[in-house]
Amino acid sequence: MILRPQRLEVEGGARIVYAPNPASPFVSFQGSLPGGVTAERSGEEGVANFLSRLLLSGTRVHTTRQLAEALEGLGATLEFGVSMDAVQFYGRCTKRTAAKVFAIVADCLTSPVIPAKEVERVRAEILTEIEEDRDDTRARAQQELLSSIYPRGHPYGRDPRGDPEQVKAIEPRILLEFHGRLYGRDGLTLAVAGDVDEGLVRIVIEKALGTLPANNARSGPPGDPDPQPPLTRTVDLPHKSQTDIAIGLQAISRGHPDFYALNVANLLFGVIGMYGRLGATVREEKGLAYYSLSRLRAMRHGGHWAIIAGVNPARLAGAMAAISHELDRLNDEPFSEEEIENGKLNQIGGLAVHLDRNAEVADALHEIEFHELGLDFLDRYPGIVKGLTREEIVAAAETHIRKRDCSVAVAGPLRGEVPSL
Amino acid sequence: MIIRPVPGVPQVSVWVTYRIGSAYERTGTTGSTHWVEHMLFKGGGKLAKGDIDRLISRLGGKFNGFTDKDWTMYYETIPAEHLETALFVEAERMRNASFDPKEFAAERTVVISEREGAENQPEFLVEEELWATAFHLHPYHWLPIGYKQDLEGMGRDEVYEYYLRHYAPNNGILTIVGGVDPEATLALVRRYFGSFRPEMVPRTPPLAEPPQSGERRSEIRRPGPVNYLALGWKIPAWGHEDLPKIVMMSAVLGGWRGYNFFAAGSWEPRANRLYRGLVEAKLATVVKSGFEMRRDPSLFAISATLAPGVDHGEVEKKVDAIVERLHEKPPASTEIERARELIRAWSRYEVDGVEFQGFMISQLEVLNSRDSFPGFLQAVERVTADDIQAAAQRYLTDRTRTVIRYHAEGGS
Repeated sequence: MILRPQRLEVEGGARIVYAPNPASPFVSFQGSLPGGVTAERSGEEGVANFLSRLLLSGTRVHTTRQLAEALEGLGATLEFGVSMDAVQFYGRCTKRTAAKVFAIVADCLTSPVIPAKEVERVRAEILTEIEEDRDDTRARAQQELLSSIYPRGHPYGRDPRGDPEQVKAIEPRILLEFHGRLYGRDGLTLAVAGDVDEGLVRIVIEKALGTLPANNARSGPPGDPDPQPPLTRTVDLPHKSQTDIAIGLQAISRGHPDFYALNVANLLFGVIGMYGRLGATVREEKGLAYYSLSRLRAMRHGGHWAIIAGVNPARLAGAMAAISHELDRLNDEPFSEEEIENGKLNQIGGLAVHLDRNAEVADALHEIEFHELGLDFLDRYPGIVKGLTREEIVAAAETHIRKRDCSVAVAGPLRGEVPSL
Repeated sequence: MIIRPVPGVPQVSVWVTYRIGSAYERTGTTGSTHWVEHMLFKGGGKLAKGDIDRLISRLGGKFNGFTDKDWTMYYETIPAEHLETALFVEAERMRNASFDPKEFAAERTVVISEREGAENQPEFLVEEELWATAFHLHPYHWLPIGYKQDLEGMGRDEVYEYYLRHYAPNNGILTIVGGVDPEATLALVRRYFGSFRPEMVPRTPPLAEPPQSGERRSEIRRPGPVNYLALGWKIPAWGHEDLPKIVMMSAVLGGWRGYNFFAAGSWEPRANRLYRGLVEAKLATVVKSGFEMRRDPSLFAISATLAPGVDHGEVEKKVDAIVERLHEKPPASTEIERARELIRAWSRYEVDGVEFQGFMISQLEVLNSRDSFPGFLQAVERVTADDIQAAAQRYLTDRTRTVIRYHAEGGS
């Protein structure tokens, strides 16, 4: 047993999980509630992100400056952000300052005032970031890929910030309506690690979260995205030095029965060590790229699998051929028993290694609770991994990583046509 | 060697730090230290190519290497019972890397690719120009990645020679933090490193940078959508008696994110003069400030991403006003107490877990200041408002300032 997490359910639907580490001199926390991109209705694109960035911009009892001064005067950190499925918050404080910090967290979540001046500041920041990413080969290739593999308008396929016109159109009224509809205790998940005990959770944190309204509306699932035909998209950015490639397709949700097998397959293909099989070929053997790796994004209502690589423009064809070869190998030369064993050992040994810091523990606990995996998940995980057969892992790769269905996005200096896979 | 046992934790983090960074390079071979780092993942001695990856990955471990201006570090964080594997890897890496010519040739395009990926980022171009403009003679003039023409031209033998000269037990620091028994650990260290002999490590100090006696400016013009600005002022080396005052000055101006640059993540300080003057005022969308812990005199730097429609001159003018205010009047006691509290907090956060502790110990040791660091933190606590004002007056002057304007032209 690595950790002994405990759970506390707060009236109104919030859940707190915590894992004490008495030797630690501080507390890390990570929380979420269902106000993510998937909660946006038509016409609200970009609102979830916009609102999350305004949560430190003033409440009914604190101005923007007062919030910053209060937190930093306590030596605390607090940030808000947004994912596809949730609005998130995370930070650090001490047991001594926790009462004040969690009161601020609750205040920010409960009663933001959305000052007009701050709205315009955040709008300018978001528009600048979008412009920067449009000029960033890596960000551009990845966004083009996501919009290719998900149906038009599906939240998983669009920029969570919205497009510039949508960002320009967001008004305080829309932000407040979104907040009123979604921010509450129902579905709130909080993970706390470090110098925490039951007393702190019951007396301080539960009390603070109890101030959130209990009547928020849980977002409905966006629906399983329909499969999309493979596309190739290119963005010519001739002033750049490097071309970025993103290749991928829709995959599976976190709750899918193939998740664990596909996760190991992905690790072996493009993650473990110097980026798995893909890195061994593209980087180590052929010297084509500094990075060439794969990612599995398994979310609540679907997910995707993708390769990303950054290459010299003159070596694009070579990189595409090497990537294509590695995709073919998934069928022609499936993972060997030795590779599978390495992947399993990596996951089992990695449990201890990846729970080194308070923030890592809070992140793991939050994921466990968010996906309702059970408090004994860390105990069960080695057994889950050990129980996977080679056939299951190979089959998961063949089923969910299909070269013929992969879309391709390339951004950077383009020299002729992009070779197909 | 430093062993810090942490009873009861299931991990161990092993760090080896070499007193060799890009500041030891010469023109024509820039980037060689970083290239060596890449080659040291490719086997040699008892390690075949790919063995480091396989050995550590099978344990679920993390591993990597970093090349800095003043040092190079390698680390593995693994389950504590497998400490021996990390020591085996690091011992082979220290003396037996093979530098196979074919591998060296393949890695040339990889390190160039790393540089090209960085060149795609305007912030990298600004940083490179800032250091190149501020330092004319000292090798801080270039960044550890090196120049492309040097990476294209350097030969295997000169890089291998560089490795042989600098990778030796007397030029390295072994740091072990985690759930280990000190005596058993010492025995393992002796087994793997005990037979290594010291080398005659070249100790030619980098060329000293002559005093700067006037503002330096440079402009970058590139296609793109967003403008950037960077300003740097010369500050003394880590270990100078004024550094505690500079720490507090930095915290008052731009907040504090710790001495461990891995620890802060995406957290952004907001209760500070630069954030208020630039971001809250909608002149910039991002502002960052601070300094690196450097062996030689270095820079205190401010960088900003300009808000749409804002001119570089407006932002410079605001920065000037912020600096001038600190020249004229010491900070308020509330500001000082907030800065102190933030620095105290980060001294807890940045040593969370065995990996962060391993990095911090290694960083301080390579700067010869591990033993004195508690005293340094106490000195930071004692810094007064007048000290901060005096530090600003002394170091934030136009005579030692370098300004880089990045002009985005024509949209993307």
